[in-house]
Amino acid sequence: MSESRKVAPKVALVATILAVAFIVVLVIASPESQTDADSPLLGNPAPAVVTTTIEDETFDLARRKGSWVVLNFFNSTCVPCRAEHPELLAFADAQAKSAQPAELYTVINDDSDGAVKAYFDEHGGSWPKLRDDNGTIAVAFGVARVPETWIVDPNGFVRLRIAGKLTEGLLDEQLAMLQGQS
Amino acid sequence: MTKSARRILWVVAAVVAVVFLVVGSTRTSGPRTQQDRIDAISKRLACPTCQGESIYVSRAPAAESVRAEIARQVSSAQRTDDEIIAYIEDRFGSSVLLVPRSDGLDAVIWILPVTLGILGVAGLGFLFVRWRREQVSTDTSSPSRRRVVVVAGLVIVAVGVGWFVANSAGQRLPGQSSSGGIEDSTASLLSQARQLNFSDPQQSIELYSQVLELNPDNVEALTYRSWLVALVAREAADDVKLLAVATSLEGLQRAIEIDPRYADAHCFMGIVKFRFAGDAQGARDALDVCEANDPPAEVAGFVDSIRAEVDAALGE
Repeated sequence: MSESRKVAPKVALVATILAVAFIVVLVIASPESQTDADSPLLGNPAPAVVTTTIEDETFDLARRKGSWVVLNFFNSTCVPCRAEHPELLAFADAQAKSAQPAELYTVINDDSDGAVKAYFDEHGGSWPKLRDDNGTIAVAFGVARVPETWIVDPNGFVRLRIAGKLTEGLLDEQLAMLQGQS
Repeated sequence: MTKSARRILWVVAAVVAVVFLVVGSTRTSGPRTQQDRIDAISKRLACPTCQGESIYVSRAPAAESVRAEIARQVSSAQRTDDEIIAYIEDRFGSSVLLVPRSDGLDAVIWILPVTLGILGVAGLGFLFVRWRREQVSTDTSSPSRRRVVVVAGLVIVAVGVGWFVANSAGQRLPGQSSSGGIEDSTASLLSQARQLNFSDPQQSIELYSQVLELNPDNVEALTYRSWLVALVAREAADDVKLLAVATSLEGLQRAIEIDPRYADAHCFMGIVKFRFAGDAQGARDALDVCEANDPPAEVAGFVDSIRAEVDAALGE
Protein backbone atom coordinates (compact mmCIF):
# COMPACT_ATOMS: atom_id res chain seq x y z
CA MET A 1 0.00 0.00 0.00
CA SER A 2 1.38 3.46 -0.94
CA GLU A 3 2.07 6.12 1.70
CA SER A 4 -0.61 8.47 0.35
CA ARG A 5 -3.27 5.76 0.51
CA LYS A 6 -2.47 5.24 4.19
CA VAL A 7 -2.74 8.98 4.95
CA ALA A 8 -5.93 9.80 3.04
CA PRO A 9 -8.39 8.00 5.37
CA LYS A 10 -6.75 9.57 8.42
CA VAL A 11 -7.08 13.02 6.93
CA ALA A 12 -10.71 12.33 6.11
CA LEU A 13 -11.32 11.05 9.64
CA VAL A 14 -9.78 14.16 11.25
CA ALA A 15 -11.76 16.43 8.93
CA THR A 16 -14.94 14.55 9.77
CA ILE A 17 -14.34 14.84 13.51
CA LEU A 18 -13.60 18.58 13.20
CA ALA A 19 -16.71 19.17 11.12
CA VAL A 20 -18.93 17.23 13.51
CA ALA A 21 -17.47 19.06 16.52
CA PHE A 22 -18.04 22.38 14.78
CA ILE A 23 -21.64 21.54 14.01
CA VAL A 24 -22.23 20.42 17.61
CA VAL A 25 -20.89 23.75 18.88
CA LEU A 26 -23.20 25.62 16.54
CA VAL A 27 -26.20 23.59 17.64
CA ILE A 28 -25.64 23.89 21.39
CA ALA A 29 -24.49 27.52 21.37
CA SER A 30 -26.83 29.89 23.24
CA PRO A 31 -29.26 31.65 20.95
CA GLU A 32 -29.52 35.43 20.89
CA SER A 33 -31.33 36.70 23.96
CA GLN A 34 -34.91 37.82 23.38
CA THR A 35 -34.30 40.70 25.74
CA ASP A 36 -31.21 41.88 23.94
CA ALA A 37 -31.27 45.62 24.47
CA ASP A 38 -28.81 46.47 21.74
CA SER A 39 -29.88 48.59 18.80
CA PRO A 40 -28.19 50.34 15.88
CA LEU A 41 -29.95 53.50 17.06
CA LEU A 42 -28.09 53.71 20.37
CA GLY A 43 -25.81 56.73 20.41
CA ASN A 44 -27.48 58.15 17.32
CA PRO A 45 -30.01 60.97 17.03
CA ALA A 46 -33.52 59.73 17.77
CA PRO A 47 -35.79 59.17 14.78
CA ALA A 48 -38.27 61.91 14.00
CA VAL A 49 -41.50 61.39 15.90
CA VAL A 50 -44.33 63.71 14.96
CA THR A 51 -47.77 62.54 15.98
CA THR A 52 -50.74 63.35 18.17
CA THR A 53 -51.84 62.20 21.59
CA ILE A 54 -55.17 60.49 22.14
CA GLU A 55 -56.34 63.89 23.39
CA ASP A 56 -55.45 65.25 19.93
CA GLU A 57 -52.52 67.34 21.19
CA THR A 58 -49.61 67.54 18.77
CA PHE A 59 -46.34 65.89 19.76
CA ASP A 60 -42.93 66.39 18.20
CA LEU A 61 -40.02 64.57 19.83
CA ALA A 62 -37.57 67.16 18.48
CA ARG A 63 -39.42 69.79 20.51
CA ARG A 64 -38.74 67.89 23.72
CA LYS A 65 -34.98 68.40 23.50
CA GLY A 66 -33.83 69.74 26.81
CA SER A 67 -35.74 67.02 28.64
CA TRP A 68 -34.98 63.36 29.21
CA VAL A 69 -37.70 61.53 27.32
CA VAL A 70 -38.89 58.00 28.04
CA LEU A 71 -40.95 56.27 25.35
CA ASN A 72 -42.83 53.15 26.40
CA PHE A 73 -44.31 51.09 23.56
CA PHE A 74 -47.55 49.60 24.80
CA ASN A 75 -50.54 47.49 23.86
CA SER A 76 -53.44 47.10 26.27
CA THR A 77 -53.83 43.37 25.49
CA CYS A 78 -50.14 42.55 25.95
CA VAL A 79 -49.58 40.70 29.21
CA PRO A 80 -46.03 41.95 29.95
CA CYS A 81 -47.20 45.51 29.18
CA ARG A 82 -49.90 45.19 31.80
CA ALA A 83 -47.52 43.51 34.20
CA GLU A 84 -45.02 46.37 34.05
CA HIS A 85 -47.64 49.08 34.49
CA PRO A 86 -47.07 49.43 38.27
CA GLU A 87 -43.38 50.08 37.51
CA LEU A 88 -44.32 52.88 35.14
CA LEU A 89 -46.69 54.39 37.70
CA ALA A 90 -43.93 54.33 40.31
CA PHE A 91 -41.48 55.81 37.82
CA ALA A 92 -43.87 58.63 36.91
CA ASP A 93 -44.44 59.42 40.59
CA ALA A 94 -40.72 59.50 41.28
CA GLN A 95 -40.08 61.74 38.28
CA ALA A 96 -42.76 64.18 39.39
CA LYS A 97 -40.72 64.74 42.56
CA SER A 98 -37.36 64.83 40.78
CA ALA A 99 -35.30 67.97 40.27
CA GLN A 100 -34.56 66.81 36.73
CA PRO A 101 -37.81 65.10 35.76
CA ALA A 102 -37.94 62.89 32.70
CA GLU A 103 -41.00 63.04 30.46
CA LEU A 104 -42.80 59.72 30.08
CA TYR A 105 -44.86 58.92 27.00
CA THR A 106 -46.78 55.81 26.03
CA VAL A 107 -46.57 54.93 22.35
CA ILE A 108 -49.67 52.98 21.37
CA ASN A 109 -48.71 49.88 19.42
CA ASP A 110 -51.38 48.24 17.25
CA ASP A 111 -54.19 49.20 19.59
CA SER A 112 -57.17 51.55 19.61
CA ASP A 113 -57.42 54.88 21.41
CA GLY A 114 -60.50 53.64 23.23
CA ALA A 115 -58.88 50.49 24.58
CA VAL A 116 -55.81 52.39 25.76
CA LYS A 117 -57.89 55.11 27.36
CA ALA A 118 -60.06 52.55 29.14
CA TYR A 119 -56.96 50.74 30.43
CA PHE A 120 -55.38 53.91 31.80
CA ASP A 121 -58.67 55.10 33.29
CA GLU A 122 -58.87 51.85 35.20
CA HIS A 123 -55.21 51.41 36.17
CA GLY A 124 -53.96 54.99 36.39
CA GLY A 125 -51.26 56.87 34.54
CA SER A 126 -51.83 60.44 33.42
CA TRP A 127 -48.86 60.83 31.10
CA PRO A 128 -49.53 61.45 27.38
CA LYS A 129 -50.38 58.52 25.09
CA LEU A 130 -49.08 58.89 21.55
CA ARG A 131 -50.82 57.50 18.50
CA ASP A 132 -48.67 55.43 16.15
CA ASP A 133 -50.81 54.98 13.06
CA ASN A 134 -49.45 52.27 10.77
CA GLY A 135 -46.65 51.58 13.25
CA THR A 136 -44.42 54.31 11.84
CA ILE A 137 -42.86 55.12 15.20
CA ALA A 138 -42.39 51.43 16.05
CA VAL A 139 -40.60 50.81 12.76
CA ALA A 140 -38.50 53.95 13.16
CA PHE A 141 -37.26 52.59 16.50
CA GLY A 142 -37.09 48.98 15.34
CA VAL A 143 -39.71 47.81 17.81
CA ALA A 144 -41.06 44.41 16.82
CA ARG A 145 -42.59 43.28 20.11
CA VAL A 146 -44.02 45.23 23.02
CA PRO A 147 -43.31 46.25 25.65
CA GLU A 148 -40.18 48.19 24.87
CA THR A 149 -38.89 51.25 26.64
CA TRP A 150 -36.48 53.78 25.18
CA ILE A 151 -34.65 56.71 26.73
CA VAL A 152 -33.72 59.77 24.68
CA ASP A 153 -31.37 62.30 26.27
CA PRO A 154 -31.86 66.10 26.31
CA ASN A 155 -29.62 66.44 23.25
CA GLY A 156 -31.89 64.15 21.27
CA PHE A 157 -29.64 61.08 21.28
CA VAL A 158 -31.02 57.60 21.87
CA ARG A 159 -29.35 56.38 25.04
CA LEU A 160 -31.09 53.19 26.14
CA ARG A 161 -33.40 50.47 24.92
CA ILE A 162 -35.07 48.07 27.31
CA ALA A 163 -36.73 45.19 25.48
CA GLY A 164 -39.38 43.32 27.41
CA LYS A 165 -41.02 43.86 30.77
CA LEU A 166 -39.54 46.40 33.16
CA THR A 167 -38.39 44.97 36.43
CA GLU A 168 -38.75 46.82 39.72
CA GLY A 169 -36.67 49.98 39.81
CA LEU A 170 -34.89 49.21 36.54
CA LEU A 171 -36.02 52.32 34.72
CA ASP A 172 -35.18 54.66 37.62
CA GLU A 173 -31.73 53.08 37.98
CA GLN A 174 -30.92 53.25 34.30
CA LEU A 175 -32.11 56.83 33.97
CA ALA A 176 -30.18 57.93 37.05
CA MET A 177 -27.08 56.25 35.65
CA LEU A 178 -27.45 57.99 32.30
CA GLN A 179 -28.12 61.35 33.94
CA GLY A 180 -25.02 60.84 36.05
CA GLN A 181 -22.93 60.25 32.94
CA SER A 182 -24.15 63.43 31.26
CA MET B 1 -16.33 11.02 -30.84
CA THR B 2 -12.88 12.39 -31.59
CA LYS B 3 -10.89 14.42 -29.11
CA SER B 4 -11.21 17.63 -31.16
CA ALA B 5 -14.98 17.20 -31.49
CA ARG B 6 -15.28 16.87 -27.72
CA ARG B 7 -13.29 20.06 -27.27
CA ILE B 8 -15.59 21.92 -29.67
CA LEU B 9 -18.61 20.68 -27.72
CA TRP B 10 -17.11 21.94 -24.46
CA VAL B 11 -16.41 25.35 -26.00
CA VAL B 12 -19.97 25.58 -27.38
CA ALA B 13 -21.40 24.64 -23.98
CA ALA B 14 -19.28 27.27 -22.26
CA VAL B 15 -20.33 29.98 -24.74
CA VAL B 16 -24.02 29.11 -24.32
CA ALA B 17 -23.67 29.24 -20.54
CA VAL B 18 -21.99 32.65 -20.65
CA VAL B 19 -24.63 34.04 -23.02
CA PHE B 20 -27.44 32.86 -20.73
CA LEU B 21 -25.72 34.38 -17.70
CA VAL B 22 -25.16 37.73 -19.42
CA VAL B 23 -28.71 37.93 -20.77
CA GLY B 24 -30.21 36.82 -17.48
CA SER B 25 -28.27 39.35 -15.44
CA THR B 26 -28.80 42.35 -17.71
CA ARG B 27 -32.35 42.04 -19.03
CA THR B 28 -34.99 44.35 -17.63
CA SER B 29 -38.66 43.64 -17.25
CA GLY B 30 -39.86 47.16 -17.99
CA PRO B 31 -41.00 49.91 -15.62
CA ARG B 32 -42.27 48.83 -12.21
CA THR B 33 -45.35 50.09 -10.43
CA GLN B 34 -45.22 51.23 -6.80
CA GLN B 35 -46.88 47.97 -5.79
CA ASP B 36 -44.16 46.03 -7.67
CA ARG B 37 -41.54 47.88 -5.66
CA ILE B 38 -43.36 47.30 -2.36
CA ASP B 39 -43.69 43.59 -3.14
CA ALA B 40 -40.08 43.26 -4.22
CA ILE B 41 -38.77 44.97 -1.08
CA SER B 42 -41.16 43.02 1.17
CA LYS B 43 -39.88 39.74 -0.26
CA ARG B 44 -36.30 40.68 0.63
CA LEU B 45 -37.05 41.36 4.32
CA ALA B 46 -37.86 38.91 7.09
CA CYS B 47 -40.72 39.47 9.49
CA PRO B 48 -39.00 40.58 12.74
CA THR B 49 -41.28 38.50 14.97
CA CYS B 50 -41.80 35.35 12.89
CA GLN B 51 -39.67 32.37 11.99
CA GLY B 52 -38.84 32.01 8.32
CA GLU B 53 -41.51 34.32 6.93
CA SER B 54 -40.95 37.33 4.77
CA ILE B 55 -42.66 40.65 5.29
CA TYR B 56 -44.46 39.88 2.04
CA VAL B 57 -46.28 36.81 3.35
CA SER B 58 -46.51 37.53 7.07
CA ARG B 59 -49.62 39.01 8.63
CA ALA B 60 -48.01 39.64 12.03
CA PRO B 61 -48.53 43.20 13.34
CA ALA B 62 -44.81 43.98 13.15
CA ALA B 63 -44.71 42.82 9.53
CA GLU B 64 -47.78 44.92 8.74
CA SER B 65 -46.06 47.96 10.25
CA VAL B 66 -42.90 47.40 8.24
CA ARG B 67 -44.93 46.87 5.07
CA ALA B 68 -46.82 50.12 5.73
CA GLU B 69 -43.51 51.93 6.21
CA ILE B 70 -42.18 50.48 2.95
CA ALA B 71 -45.35 51.64 1.19
CA ARG B 72 -44.98 55.10 2.71
CA GLN B 73 -41.37 55.42 1.64
CA VAL B 74 -42.06 54.06 -1.86
CA SER B 75 -44.91 56.53 -2.35
CA SER B 76 -42.75 59.42 -1.16
CA ALA B 77 -40.21 58.43 -3.86
CA GLN B 78 -37.28 59.70 -1.83
CA ARG B 79 -35.40 56.43 -1.40
CA THR B 80 -34.34 53.61 -3.70
CA ASP B 81 -35.24 50.01 -2.90
CA ASP B 82 -31.80 49.40 -1.43
CA GLU B 83 -32.03 52.56 0.68
CA ILE B 84 -35.41 51.50 2.07
CA ILE B 85 -33.99 48.09 2.94
CA ALA B 86 -31.01 49.80 4.60
CA TYR B 87 -33.45 51.97 6.62
CA ILE B 88 -35.25 48.88 7.93
CA GLU B 89 -31.94 47.11 8.59
CA ASP B 90 -30.65 50.13 10.52
CA ARG B 91 -33.59 49.76 12.89
CA PHE B 92 -34.11 46.03 13.23
CA GLY B 93 -30.56 44.78 12.59
CA SER B 94 -29.15 42.59 9.84
CA SER B 95 -31.27 39.60 10.84
CA VAL B 96 -34.15 41.04 8.82
CA LEU B 97 -32.21 40.63 5.59
CA LEU B 98 -33.45 37.57 3.71
CA VAL B 99 -30.99 38.18 0.90
CA PRO B 100 -27.49 38.74 2.29
CA ARG B 101 -25.57 41.73 1.06
CA SER B 102 -22.93 41.20 -1.62
CA ASP B 103 -20.31 43.25 0.21
CA GLY B 104 -18.43 42.92 3.47
CA LEU B 105 -18.51 39.63 5.38
CA ASP B 106 -21.84 38.71 3.81
CA ALA B 107 -20.13 38.43 0.42
CA VAL B 108 -18.63 35.19 1.71
CA ILE B 109 -22.02 33.54 1.50
CA TRP B 110 -22.06 34.18 -2.24
CA ILE B 111 -18.43 33.38 -2.91
CA LEU B 112 -17.92 30.37 -0.68
CA PRO B 113 -20.39 27.94 -2.27
CA VAL B 114 -18.92 28.58 -5.70
CA THR B 115 -15.38 28.22 -4.37
CA LEU B 116 -16.26 25.07 -2.46
CA GLY B 117 -18.01 23.63 -5.50
CA ILE B 118 -14.99 24.21 -7.71
CA LEU B 119 -12.61 22.85 -5.09
CA GLY B 120 -14.86 19.85 -4.43
CA VAL B 121 -15.15 18.91 -8.10
CA ALA B 122 -11.42 19.41 -8.59
CA GLY B 123 -10.63 17.35 -5.49
CA LEU B 124 -12.94 14.50 -6.46
CA GLY B 125 -11.60 14.53 -10.01
CA PHE B 126 -8.07 14.35 -8.67
CA LEU B 127 -8.97 11.45 -6.39
CA PHE B 128 -10.76 9.49 -9.07
CA VAL B 129 -7.83 9.90 -11.46
CA ARG B 130 -5.45 8.75 -8.79
CA TRP B 131 -7.60 5.78 -7.84
CA ARG B 132 -7.87 4.73 -11.47
CA ARG B 133 -4.10 4.86 -11.84
CA GLU B 134 -3.61 2.91 -8.66
CA GLN B 135 -6.14 0.31 -9.73
CA VAL B 136 -4.24 -0.18 -12.97
CA SER B 137 -0.84 -0.44 -11.30
CA THR B 138 -1.81 -2.49 -8.24
CA ASP B 139 -4.16 -5.31 -7.56
CA THR B 140 -6.15 -4.08 -4.61
CA SER B 141 -8.86 -6.23 -3.18
CA SER B 142 -11.25 -3.54 -1.82
CA PRO B 143 -10.58 0.20 -2.27
CA SER B 144 -14.28 1.12 -1.95
CA ARG B 145 -14.23 1.53 1.83
CA ARG B 146 -11.48 4.14 1.72
CA ARG B 147 -13.26 5.96 -1.09
CA VAL B 148 -16.44 6.13 0.93
CA VAL B 149 -14.58 7.47 3.95
CA VAL B 150 -12.77 10.15 1.93
CA VAL B 151 -15.88 11.26 0.04
CA ALA B 152 -17.95 11.30 3.22
CA GLY B 153 -15.29 13.41 4.91
CA LEU B 154 -15.32 15.93 2.07
CA VAL B 155 -19.10 16.13 2.05
CA ILE B 156 -19.33 16.62 5.83
CA VAL B 157 -16.65 19.33 5.81
CA ALA B 158 -18.43 21.12 2.97
CA VAL B 159 -21.79 20.89 4.74
CA GLY B 160 -20.28 22.04 8.03
CA VAL B 161 -18.60 25.08 6.49
CA GLY B 162 -21.73 25.91 4.51
CA TRP B 163 -23.87 25.70 7.62
CA PHE B 164 -21.47 27.94 9.52
CA VAL B 165 -21.53 30.58 6.80
CA ALA B 166 -25.31 30.40 6.45
CA ASN B 167 -25.73 30.85 10.19
CA SER B 168 -23.22 33.63 10.65
CA ALA B 169 -23.36 35.79 7.53
CA GLY B 170 -26.32 38.13 7.32
CA GLN B 171 -27.25 37.62 10.97
CA ARG B 172 -25.03 40.04 12.78
CA LEU B 173 -26.46 41.25 16.02
CA PRO B 174 -28.12 44.65 16.15
CA GLY B 175 -25.48 47.26 16.79
CA GLN B 176 -22.95 45.57 14.56
CA SER B 177 -24.48 46.93 11.39
CA SER B 178 -21.90 48.05 8.87
CA SER B 179 -24.30 49.70 6.48
CA GLY B 180 -24.79 53.39 6.07
CA GLY B 181 -25.81 54.53 9.53
CA ILE B 182 -28.71 56.84 10.19
CA GLU B 183 -29.42 59.02 7.19
CA ASP B 184 -30.45 62.24 8.71
CA SER B 185 -27.71 64.80 8.56
CA THR B 186 -29.88 67.60 9.92
CA ALA B 187 -30.86 65.62 13.00
CA SER B 188 -27.26 64.60 13.50
CA LEU B 189 -25.96 68.18 13.19
CA LEU B 190 -28.63 69.46 15.57
CA SER B 191 -27.81 66.86 18.18
CA GLN B 192 -24.07 67.54 17.87
CA ALA B 193 -24.70 71.27 18.16
CA ARG B 194 -26.78 70.82 21.30
CA GLN B 195 -24.02 68.88 22.96
CA LEU B 196 -21.71 71.85 22.43
CA ASN B 197 -24.14 74.59 23.50
CA PHE B 198 -22.29 75.30 26.73
CA SER B 199 -18.86 73.73 26.23
CA ASP B 200 -18.07 75.25 22.84
CA PRO B 201 -20.76 77.77 21.82
CA GLN B 202 -18.75 79.06 18.84
CA GLN B 203 -18.60 75.59 17.32
CA SER B 204 -22.24 75.06 18.20
CA ILE B 205 -23.19 78.26 16.34
CA GLU B 206 -21.23 76.96 13.36
CA LEU B 207 -23.15 73.68 13.38
CA TYR B 208 -26.51 75.45 13.66
CA SER B 209 -25.47 77.61 10.73
CA GLN B 210 -24.77 74.46 8.71
CA VAL B 211 -28.28 73.25 9.51
CA LEU B 212 -29.71 76.58 8.37
CA GLU B 213 -27.82 76.29 5.11
CA LEU B 214 -29.60 72.98 4.54
CA ASN B 215 -32.92 74.21 5.87
CA PRO B 216 -33.24 77.98 6.43
CA ASP B 217 -36.55 77.49 8.28
CA ASN B 218 -35.28 75.04 10.86
CA VAL B 219 -36.79 76.46 14.01
CA GLU B 220 -34.52 74.70 16.45
CA ALA B 221 -31.36 75.90 14.69
CA LEU B 222 -32.71 79.44 14.41
CA THR B 223 -33.67 79.55 18.08
CA TYR B 224 -30.52 78.11 19.55
CA ARG B 225 -28.13 79.95 17.25
CA SER B 226 -29.86 83.20 18.14
CA TRP B 227 -29.64 82.49 21.84
CA LEU B 228 -25.97 81.51 21.64
CA VAL B 229 -25.13 84.63 19.62
CA ALA B 230 -26.48 86.72 22.50
CA LEU B 231 -24.65 84.62 25.08
CA VAL B 232 -21.22 84.75 23.46
CA ALA B 233 -21.50 88.53 22.99
CA ARG B 234 -21.85 89.13 26.73
CA GLU B 235 -18.18 89.96 27.14
CA ALA B 236 -17.86 91.88 23.89
CA ALA B 237 -17.65 95.63 23.41
CA ASP B 238 -20.93 97.54 23.63
CA ASP B 239 -21.36 98.08 19.91
CA VAL B 240 -20.73 94.41 19.18
CA LYS B 241 -23.06 93.42 21.99
CA LEU B 242 -25.83 95.66 20.64
CA LEU B 243 -25.48 94.18 17.19
CA ALA B 244 -25.44 90.64 18.59
CA VAL B 245 -28.59 91.24 20.66
CA ALA B 246 -30.40 92.75 17.69
CA THR B 247 -29.39 89.78 15.54
CA SER B 248 -30.45 87.39 18.28
CA LEU B 249 -33.89 88.97 18.73
CA GLU B 250 -34.41 89.04 14.99
CA GLY B 251 -33.59 85.31 14.72
CA LEU B 252 -35.85 84.42 17.63
CA GLN B 253 -38.70 86.45 16.16
CA ARG B 254 -38.29 84.61 12.88
CA ALA B 255 -38.39 81.27 14.70
CA ILE B 256 -41.59 82.31 16.48
CA GLU B 257 -43.17 83.34 13.19
CA ILE B 258 -42.34 79.95 11.66
CA ASP B 259 -43.61 77.95 14.63
CA PRO B 260 -45.53 80.04 17.17
CA ARG B 261 -45.96 76.97 19.43
CA TYR B 262 -42.24 76.29 19.84
CA ALA B 263 -41.79 77.07 23.53
CA ASP B 264 -37.98 77.38 23.45
CA ALA B 265 -38.06 80.36 21.08
CA HIS B 266 -40.43 82.28 23.38
CA CYS B 267 -38.37 81.34 26.43
CA PHE B 268 -35.10 82.58 24.96
CA MET B 269 -36.84 85.66 23.61
CA GLY B 270 -37.84 86.46 27.20
CA ILE B 271 -34.35 85.77 28.55
CA VAL B 272 -32.57 87.82 25.87
CA LYS B 273 -35.01 90.71 26.23
CA PHE B 274 -34.53 90.84 29.99
CA ARG B 275 -30.83 90.06 30.33
CA PHE B 276 -29.44 91.83 27.29
CA ALA B 277 -32.04 94.37 26.16
CA GLY B 278 -33.37 95.54 29.53
CA ASP B 279 -36.98 95.03 28.42
CA ALA B 280 -38.72 93.52 31.47
CA GLN B 281 -42.25 93.87 30.14
CA GLY B 282 -41.36 92.31 26.79
CA ALA B 283 -39.54 89.58 28.67
CA ARG B 284 -42.55 88.78 30.84
CA ASP B 285 -44.88 88.56 27.84
CA ALA B 286 -42.50 86.16 26.14
CA LEU B 287 -42.02 84.06 29.26
CA ASP B 288 -45.79 83.76 29.69
CA VAL B 289 -46.12 82.34 26.19
CA CYS B 290 -43.11 80.13 26.83
CA GLU B 291 -44.66 78.55 29.91
CA ALA B 292 -48.02 78.14 28.20
CA ASN B 293 -46.34 75.98 25.58
CA ASP B 294 -44.79 73.49 28.02
CA PRO B 295 -41.03 74.01 27.60
CA PRO B 296 -38.67 71.06 28.15
CA ALA B 297 -37.10 70.67 31.59
CA GLU B 298 -33.78 72.34 30.81
CA VAL B 299 -35.37 75.46 29.33
CA ALA B 300 -38.03 75.54 32.04
CA GLY B 301 -35.16 75.65 34.54
CA PHE B 302 -33.71 78.74 32.84
CA VAL B 303 -37.12 80.42 32.92
CA ASP B 304 -37.69 79.58 36.59
CA SER B 305 -34.39 81.17 37.48
CA ILE B 306 -35.23 84.47 35.79
CA ARG B 307 -38.96 84.75 36.45
CA ALA B 308 -38.65 86.27 39.94
CA GLU B 309 -36.15 88.86 38.70
CA VAL B 310 -38.47 89.90 35.88
CA ASP B 311 -41.40 90.27 38.28
CA ALA B 312 -39.24 92.27 40.68
CA ALA B 313 -38.12 94.57 37.87
CA LEU B 314 -41.77 95.24 37.07
CA GLY B 315 -42.40 96.03 40.72
CA GLU B 316 -44.53 92.96 41.46
